[in-house]
Order: sequence, then structure tokens, then C-alpha cells
Amino acid sequence: MSKINEKLEVQKQEPKFPVAESHDLLPRSKWLREYYFKGVEREWNNEYTPFTTDTDWDIIFNEGNFYIVPVMYYYIGIKDRGPFASSFRSMAILVKLPENFWNKPLPVRRALFFEEVMLNYIPQEIISENDLIAGGRFHTQLSKCFNEKEAKIFWKKNIRNRNAVFKFHKNGFGNVGATGGHIIADYETVIKKGFKYIYENIKKNYEKLSKKEKKGFKGHQLKAMMISAEIPRKLAKKYAEECRRLKNEASTPERAEEFEQMAKNLEIVPWEPAETFWQGVQSLWLIHMLIIAEESYPGPGVSFGRTDQHLWDLYKKDVIDEKNITKEFAKEILGSFWFHCNTVYDAQIKIGGNQGISSGFGQLMTLSGMGSNGEDLANELTYTILEVIDEWSPILEPKPNVRLHRNTPDKLLDIIVDMIFRAQGAPYILNFDERSIAGMIAEGIPKEDAWDYACVGCLENTMQGNDRSGTVNCNPNLAKSIELTLWNGKNMPDKSDTSKSREQFGPKTGDPENFETWEEFWNAWVEQMKFIIRYTVEVNNLTEELRGEFLPTPYVSTIVRGCAENGLDVRQGGPELRFITIEGVGYATTVDSLLSIKRYVYEDKKYTIAQVKKALMEDYQGKENAIMRTLFKNKAPKYGVDDDEFDELGRMVMKTWSDECWKYKTPTNFQFRPGMLSWNYWAGADAANTIATPDGRNKGRFLSNAICPTNGADIKGPTAVTNSVGKVLGGKTEDGEYINYLPNGSSHIISFNPSMLRDPEHINKFKAYLRGYIENGGTALQINMIDAEMLIDAQKHPQNYKNLLVRVTGYNAYFHAIGRELQDEIIARESHQM
Amino acid sequence: MVNLINSKHGLIFEIQRMSTEDGPGIRTTIFFKGCPLKCVWCHNPESISKEPQLQWFKNKCIGCNTCIETCQQQALSFDKDGLKIDRDKCISCGNCTDECPSTALNMIGKKWDLYDLFHEIEKDKVYYTTSKGGITVSGGEPTLQSKFIEDFLKKCKENNINTALDTCGYASKEVYQKLLPYLDLVLFDIKEINPRKHKEYTGVSNERILEKAIWILNYIEKHNKKMWIRTPLIPNFTATEENIKGIGNFIVNDLRNKIERWDLLAFNSLCSGKYSRLGISWVLKDEPLLTDEKMEYFSKIAKEIGVINVHWSGLTIKIDSEVKELI
Repeated sequence: MSKINEKLEVQKQEPKFPVAESHDLLPRSKWLREYYFKGVEREWNNEYTPFTTDTDWDIIFNEGNFYIVPVMYYYIGIKDRGPFASSFRSMAILVKLPENFWNKPLPVRRALFFEEVMLNYIPQEIISENDLIAGGRFHTQLSKCFNEKEAKIFWKKNIRNRNAVFKFHKNGFGNVGATGGHIIADYETVIKKGFKYIYENIKKNYEKLSKKEKKGFKGHQLKAMMISAEIPRKLAKKYAEECRRLKNEASTPERAEEFEQMAKNLEIVPWEPAETFWQGVQSLWLIHMLIIAEESYPGPGVSFGRTDQHLWDLYKKDVIDEKNITKEFAKEILGSFWFHCNTVYDAQIKIGGNQGISSGFGQLMTLSGMGSNGEDLANELTYTILEVIDEWSPILEPKPNVRLHRNTPDKLLDIIVDMIFRAQGAPYILNFDERSIAGMIAEGIPKEDAWDYACVGCLENTMQGNDRSGTVNCNPNLAKSIELTLWNGKNMPDKSDTSKSREQFGPKTGDPENFETWEEFWNAWVEQMKFIIRYTVEVNNLTEELRGEFLPTPYVSTIVRGCAENGLDVRQGGPELRFITIEGVGYATTVDSLLSIKRYVYEDKKYTIAQVKKALMEDYQGKENAIMRTLFKNKAPKYGVDDDEFDELGRMVMKTWSDECWKYKTPTNFQFRPGMLSWNYWAGADAANTIATPDGRNKGRFLSNAICPTNGADIKGPTAVTNSVGKVLGGKTEDGEYINYLPNGSSHIISFNPSMLRDPEHINKFKAYLRGYIENGGTALQINMIDAEMLIDAQKHPQNYKNLLVRVTGYNAYFHAIGRELQDEIIARESHQM
Repeated sequence: MVNLINSKHGLIFEIQRMSTEDGPGIRTTIFFKGCPLKCVWCHNPESISKEPQLQWFKNKCIGCNTCIETCQQQALSFDKDGLKIDRDKCISCGNCTDECPSTALNMIGKKWDLYDLFHEIEKDKVYYTTSKGGITVSGGEPTLQSKFIEDFLKKCKENNINTALDTCGYASKEVYQKLLPYLDLVLFDIKEINPRKHKEYTGVSNERILEKAIWILNYIEKHNKKMWIRTPLIPNFTATEENIKGIGNFIVNDLRNKIERWDLLAFNSLCSGKYSRLGISWVLKDEPLLTDEKMEYFSKIAKEIGVINVHWSGLTIKIDSEVKELI
């Protein structure tokens, strides 16, 4: 018996639960993956390198990119320049400027500076003899190339913006700011027609201008784009030279031949159309990497679109029809691509260490989905990519988003479900075409184009190649509307400053203590909600305007359709489609708060508004308040239980705030549109700044996540919550047409116990559930297939679960690397699973 | 008090959506209250009584005393172990559960009318379609509320929803005759083949039950419907080789192997909290779970006898192979 105990004791040290691990990797991929995970131990990395024009007034760090990341505010700086700006400036490499640099207009300066850095300052490196794709280092912090006057004006406006943004955040409204990334560039055109085609198109548009126009604003933009459009060709040439150099040092004749082929590839793409699958992937990586480099933004949301469609012809030719390469070699090519995608996390690797590779940036790849006639487009490349993901997992980039619809084949569903089961729910985000496409049509995309949408970042639906998309720029805290309604447009008085006159943020909708009916309360709430959207737009627009005026990105503009035709930078309103998304945060917290007030104040008359306000001010402390809180939390009506009455209020809340978004544009002519991503704001700084709410939530506790119900509210199981999600997005018309109030998409997470998939019979039931989701659910679903006990064990023995990826919201993160508070929240979520 | 039989209302203690264990596909299982059997291992002890019962969850209670202040019968009091319910005084009026802010106190068994119940189960119609699922009426013993259930099943069939009845077999032919036209599947429990043991474990002999199984099978064969047999495997009770063989032979010989499948359901003790909340002691409280191997073994016996489609499910212990060697 003691022997058994000893054995058991030994076992306790081991992970109790199996965690997904990479498997069956081909040799090059295996080496690259292992090398990647050496992290700080690597001799090579892709850390930020700052570059300066070396003027006294130079500005390198664009803090506006990080206004939507409140944990960064300290680094941005409270007064004047913060730690980031100063350290980049002091470390920056001086770049020798081309002649007449300062006489050129700003966009041309930016293009020239970028070219100089990419060609002559950042080394061209092939990462070991296992790398098949050129394009090593790309993380830059580029000088904004301001002259003294520009720098002065920029900085003044920048400080004004910073103050406005910080005030917005500090008062619990959420966060806003024009952010980089979050775009699907026109990769398809580059792969299929080459950058030459793009260059010529820009040139054509430039030549159309009159002599005067050429010297004016439009001419400057197009000139800068023309310079930028040649950078990929010039960079590819330099990489080709490097490959030839390495060829001579190659350890084997086979590798020498590979280097020769890589050089040849680079002499063709991305300038010419790709002729082979290898060239297609090479072209894609180089032009993608340059976006991240030009924006000096580390990669979040720089997404690929429907790669399995864009590269399909080349794959079919090389692997299936002509058998020029084996499927294994195609997977090795993709392996190199996977490796490079993950080097985005190196940006601050020395500061953050391996912690840096824990977060979710979301260079999203959209797979499968419907074609123009509703047919499914999954092909052999789709399945090969899925194999690569499976073999590489757990890994973070690129993130796959698989589009499902009524005609999705069982074969695809089988593979997805199997991988979800084995990888704890990672790595997939599932996107649902019918509901998503209804949203695209609602935002004005013609029906005959809408099927070809793809997802940015996590699940943000946009068109490919012609939309700036700006999917994370505005993240208002919808729950703030409750506070403003209760206190007549002001913040809740703080105990410490009751005497002080508080700022009137929202409109004066009246003291609700005097309201007689629910309708009066609702009407006041609507006004406050509208105000929040307006205030969000106002503050965000300050940042959009400044970015448009001072921070052009001519290279990105070359590969977003419309910019050349309009002669405008992508940030100034150049793209064919111009949307900025307002991502509502704390939706269910808001709905449930309204439901509580409606039920207990106006219907049952159990409490008065004055009593509710007092309880919120006291954060539900004390016995009477505790009873109220318990009631609100446990017995009050909630969104997420498939109750038609409750969901109808949810739908009205959704419609109210989302309709309001359509009323506004940026000064750069971008249309605001609604979505619900809420990243990790629900769990982070925005939650901390939110007072207690009438859904029974204490002050500072997490808000509801994206379109999910409040934690613990979805007690009727997965089908019920799925139906609720579909209903509040608008449901369907009487004719069965889908309605979608949130064209940009809405993040929904459901947790299942792994036993749900224990045998083929149950796997079939799960697949049927997903097919039901297509009919009744929202636009995007993420599944966690995790046992709460496993997470508790992982919390106690993090060393045993280094590989454990969990779904945070739109992204996966390594469980050991996220904060304890968030870990607890996820455990709570998983404990309450179906 | 609710009149159960022939009532316009059903007395239901739970509606489980996305149920994956009560028949094919995704189902909504409706648990009706009241049971003629008293199985020692019963997983739903709250289902046995034909009347609503009050229950209290210690972990949800915030100790606010609202219930005690509300109760007009003085049936409630607090002592060091928590809330005491004097079941002789309690008239199940439900006032305390209405006032309880936390759901710590709730009433097992709520009245549902046909319209509301149908509306509730209709919500998952899409999933029934994608999964070839439907609804299952279970309990307790649903046939005790046969009038209501007949109307309900009829309404489901009128709306093309697949229906299943989970029954212990202890009802009259007359009742089954009324329900069967509106059923696609019968989940029929045969718990123990030995009549004496059956009476000892459940309070009734199994002769009527086995007779009903044969009768229902004949009906089902004629009308193109389906029947599954379900057997709970309870350690020290039904989980014996002898019993499996006995039921297996009954299926092969008396039911002529015409059933669609036989489910062996492994014992679990997850319901022990229910017993303590109802103030009942339970003999199986500390009984360990069966092992995977044991369940596989029973399945093997069942198959060897010749039953065609045998499944097992439920909570089991997985013994690590290394440890097993040492044992």
C-alpha cells in the first residue's frame, strides 16, 4: 500500500491533465519553432530599433498607438515625454538623410526615410539554414521626420489629445485613440499581379494630375506612394544578394540550391506576380512585414485575409497538378512563414523577456467560408494550413479564424472539432458567415461582394484590401451610461468630494428619483447612451485628425485600394471603404443593470431609485445593501437565458447604442460603425474605473465580456445563450433573413467541459450545436474546452503547464503568463460551464 | 395543492436544455415530479414526491433571515448547522422562496401550463433539427401526469418535434396506449431482472414492468418507432454479472433483440447533496465510482449475450496503469 502512495505522490508532481503540444513537425519547422521559443536566449531577435533624423525636435514614439492600452499610460508619460519616447530617442540610430530631405513634403520625407532604414540600416538576415522565407528583422521605431515647425504643432496637439484621452479614461468612459495595424491590405493583388501593377497604377494616377496638382497635396501623397511602392522590390533585391552570399557558405549542396532558389524568388516577387507557391508565400511575408515596419506598430491586427484562397492557384499548380514540390515542402515553406509571424512578439523582448511572447496580437488568417453562390471554398490548401496549425500548436501567430456557414462540409467541421478538443479550445476562432454577411450588407457593401469579407485582429469583419477598418480605435464603456443616468449626467459623487461641484459630462436628463415610470428612466438612459457615443467620437476624432495630418503611411497606402485613386493617404481617408469601429464594452453589465432597475424599481417597486443610488455609493456594503446586491445578482432578470422579454430589452440597448454610431464620421471622412470586441478591457482598467452597478456587481469588478452574458448568468446552457446572442443582434426577419446590428462582429465565448466530446456520438452532437449556432447565434464564437480543475492545478503548478493556452477574449494567451486576477476570472468562467 | 393527474398543468422540477444524455441528438429533457418507485440509488430524490418541496442551499445563503420573517407557518428557523425546515409545518406555499434574495431557498416543482412549456422547448428547435434530436419527458415518472403529457407530446408532434419518453415501465397499458401514438422513442428502464431484488431495491416487483416492456416493443415494431433499454449500474445492487446476463437474455429472447440500443449507465454520487438538502440520509453517499474497466467488462458481457447495440456512459474512475499494476 505504501508503495502505491509513493507512486501517487510522484504522480502529483506531474501535470494531472494533458496539454496540447506540438507534434510531427518537419525538420526545418521543428528547428525554427524550438529556436523561437528560446526567446531571450536567441542570438538573433527582432527587437525594436529606433531611428532618428537627429534633429533636436525629433519625435520617434507615436504614443497615440497606445492610447487604447491603459496599462501603457505610465510609459506614455503624464507630463511631456514619458519613458518610452525618451528611451527610444536616446537609443536611436542616426540615419543619413538623402539630399534636399528637408525641402520635401512630409509624406515624401517619410517614404524616403523608411526606404533608407529598410535598405541600408536594418540588416537583411536569413534565420539559419532552416529558413525558407526571407524577411527577418522588421520592428522599427521610425522618426516621424518632422521639421521644427511641424514638431511644435504636432506636440502641442499631441498633449491636448493625451489629456483628453486620459480624462476620458479616468472618468470611466473607456479608452480611445487612432491605433495602427488592424487592416487587411490588398495582398491578393500583390501576389497575383505583383507590386509592379500597384506602382503603375499610382504612377497613372499621378500623371493624371495637372502640373499644379502635382506640386500640391495630392501630388505629394502620390509621390510618396510611388517611392514606397518600389521599396519591396529594392528590399527583395538586397535579400536576394544576401541569399547568394549565403549560398557560398551553405553547409550542403542542397541548402546551396535552396539559397539559389530563394534568391531567384526574390528577384521575381513581390514586384512581379508570383509564379510558384514558394514565391507566393515569400511575396506575402515581405509586403506584410513592411506594413508593421512602416507603422512602427508591433503587429496587432495586421491581418492576412483569406490566404487559403489567395494562394490556392499556386498551391494547386505546384503541389497537386504539376507536383513541382511535395506537400511536405509546402508545409516547410509555411513553417518558415509561421516562424516569422511569431517574431512580432520580439518587439520588447529584452525588457519584457519571454513574457512578451504571451500576448495575443492577432495577425489573423481567415480560412474557408462561402463563395459567391453560398458554396464552401475550403480546399486542399485550407486543410494543409490546418495541419500546420495543428502541428505548430500551441503557438500564437498567425491566428486562424475559420468561417462556417450552412454549406460547411462535415470534413472541415470534424477537423476543427478534433483540434478544439485536443488543444483546449485553442487555436480557433469560428466566424459565422450568414450573420456576418448580413452585417456587411447593412453597412452598405453590395450583396455580390459581401461574401468575400474576412476578419481582422480577432473577429472584426471587414472587406479585404480596400478598408482601413480601424477596428479597435474606440472602446467606450457602455456601463458608464447607468452611472450618468442615475446622477443626471454626472459621475457618482465620491465620498471624499461630495462638496465639490462635479463636472456635467452628459446631458441633464433629470434626477431619476423624480421619475414616475420606467419609460422616463429609459428615455433618460437613451440620452446618456447617445452622449457616450458622441463623447467617444469627439475624443477619438482628435486623435484621428492629428494622425491624418502628421503621421502618413505612404507604404500602407500603396496596398489599400482607393488611396491612389483618391490621392490620399490611408490615414487621411484614402481607402475605398472607410470605417472606424466603435467596440462597445460592458454590454451585458449595462443590460442587466437596466433589467434590475426596471424589475425592482418600476415593476415590483421593491426599491426606490434613491435606495439603489445609495447602495451603489456604498458599494453594497452593509446588511441591507448586501440583500439588494444578492437579489440583483442572483434573482434579477438577466440577458443570456433566452427569455424573450429580457432579450428584447437587450436588443433595444444594442440598437440604441449601435444606431448612434452610424451618425458620426471622422474629420478624415471615416464612417463609425459598431462592433463588440472588448479585448481585455472588461477585465482591466475600464472595469477598475467603473462604479458598482445594479446588476449586483461590486465596484472595480470585471465587466461583462463583449457580447457574453455577465459571468454566471447563462444558467440555461449553451443553446439558450446562443439564442440570446442572436436575438440581441437583431435575430431574423419574418422571411428568415439574418439581421446584424454589429457589422464589425461580436465576440462570444462559451466554455465546455472536455467530456462533451468524449465519443463520436457526442462529437456529432457538438457539431450539430455548431450548425445550430450558424442559424441562431452571433458572428463569432470562441470555445474553451477546459476543465476548471486543470486551471486550478495550473495555477498551483505553473511549471507543468507552460504550454497551456487559454482563451482570454478575442485571443489566446499562455495561462501562466497572465495576471492572477485574470486567471481567477477565467477559472470562475470555466467552473461555470456546460 | 396541485392535483397531478389529469391536470391542465404539469408539475416539473427541471427543464434541461442541450441535454446530450437522454436520447439521440440535442434534446430538451423535461423532468416531471412524482414517482411510483423508490429506488435506493435514485439520482433525483427530489422527483419522488408528488408535491412541491422546499430546499435550501447552504452555499448560496447570505443569512439575511428574510425567509424566517416571511414564513407565516413558523416552519423555518436557524441553528448552528443552518436553516431548519420543519416539514410538518411547511405547506409549500413558496412565499419564502419568492422573498429569498439569493435563490438559496427554492421550491422543487413548479407548475407549467402547456403553452409555456411548449414555448420553452420550441426555443431549441433549430438544434433538434441539426442534431436529429428533440424532447424527452422524464422524471420522476412522467406517466403519472399522463393527461398533461399526452397533450404536450401531441403538440410537439403537430410541430414536427421528435419525442421520447423516459419511463420506469410501471404504468398501465391504458396510459402507454394514450402516449405511444405521439412518441418516436421510448427509453425504458430495466433496472434489475430478479423480481425479489427488484422489489427490495425499488419497492415494487418487476413483473408488471417486464410485461410492459414486451407489450411496448410489440407496439413499437408495428408502428415504426424505437425503443432503448436503460440500466443503471449501481455497485452492490444492480452492477452484477448476473443481472447484466439476466437483462441481456431478456432483451435477446423476450424482446427478440428488436430494441435499438441498450444503455448501461454508470453510478455516480453527484446527487448526494440533494439528499442532504432534503434531509434524507443516503446509503450510497460514500460509494466509490465504478472504473472504466468494470464498465467495459459489463458491456462485453452484454455483447456476448448477443445484444446488438450496447453503450455505456457516466462518471468513472480512470486508474493509472502504473498504479493498477501495483494493485
